[in-house]
Amino acid sequence: MDALLTAPVSDYSRRMVALHRPELTDEADWIARAQRSDAQAFESLYRLHVDKVYGLCLRMTGNVSEAEDCTQEAFIQAWNKLDRFRGDSAFGTWMHRIAVNAVLGRIRKSRRERDRIQDASAMSVSPASVADTGEMRDLADAVDRLPQGARHVFVLHAVYGYSHEETGEMLDIAPGTSKAQLHRARRLLTQQLKAQGFEA
Amino acid sequence: MSDKDDDKLMAAAGKLATEISPERDLWPGIEAAIHSPKRSSWTPMFAQAAAVLLLVGASSMVTYFVVKEDQRVIEVVRPTLTTDTVAFADRQLLGREYEQAHGQIQSQLNQELERLSPETRADVERNLAVIRQAIGDINEALEKEPDNTLLQELLANAYRDELAIMQRVGNLTQQIMSRKDI
Repeated sequence: MDALLTAPVSDYSRRMVALHRPELTDEADWIARAQRSDAQAFESLYRLHVDKVYGLCLRMTGNVSEAEDCTQEAFIQAWNKLDRFRGDSAFGTWMHRIAVNAVLGRIRKSRRERDRIQDASAMSVSPASVADTGEMRDLADAVDRLPQGARHVFVLHAVYGYSHEETGEMLDIAPGTSKAQLHRARRLLTQQLKAQGFEA
Repeated sequence: MSDKDDDKLMAAAGKLATEISPERDLWPGIEAAIHSPKRSSWTPMFAQAAAVLLLVGASSMVTYFVVKEDQRVIEVVRPTLTTDTVAFADRQLLGREYEQAHGQIQSQLNQELERLSPETRADVERNLAVIRQAIGDINEALEKEPDNTLLQELLANAYRDELAIMQRVGNLTQQIMSRKDI
């Protein structure tokens, strides 16, 4: 047993390290290395967080291609801003904030290119069809049909669990506005889902 | 909407998937973007800045020329000094100090331009060429009307604008190279 513990680490075992479930210490190491412009470490961070970032972008945009673009934009922005990450919040939370900004920035741009986006939207697969099953798919579809402001608040507060203060800060709206939008979202969702006989 | 419905809705929302895998690998696009030189994405901004500098012209007189050039020349170019008679047509009259400053900044500019994309460099050089053409034209006019204070002022302003652009190009390039908050 002692011999096993003290045995030199083989190349094989080094490769195994990359396969294990990432620990927080790995993430901290990747962040530190990425802050020194190590793209490989940043790729590890991407692999660790991409599903969270893409999930948020998809829920907020309701559009696969837009969500892909926002996810890429968020990680590119993160790379450029990495030296500003001080660890005051979790890296995943920091990435979420950047992703929300990417989505909002893209929406502002989309308003200037409304026709193009509408065309793209028509061709896209609904996020609900790729992420949820059964009745949850109905709920996801209903969330997707919410007006933009209500949808953003509902996704951040009800799905991702951010407080109204955090949601307001991310969306650059007052906490009171966040509460009002949530109330609106609940009312619209309840109406939609009752009509479909939804039972959670 | 009853409280029961509301609770049920919020509970269901909490069960929605928060982590969704994209249908394709997005990393290659990200990798390509982060490996491209950062300053290249600022080329349009740089070109716009150069264009704005060209248009703003006289309003951005924070130049080496103003600081270094001797007061005699500055006084001469003020339109209020209409009684002064100055032979301003010959560029040499601006003085050796100006020529040295001009040469140094031009040398610095050439180094900065090397760092820019060919398109941006062409834009900057085109803008400078416009000003230099104007300097040549004004000099020609002054040969015929050496006492024309308006032409004198135009010439001095053109020289200031040229130097201002050359300096600002250098400063902007350094800012772009050192910015980490983008």
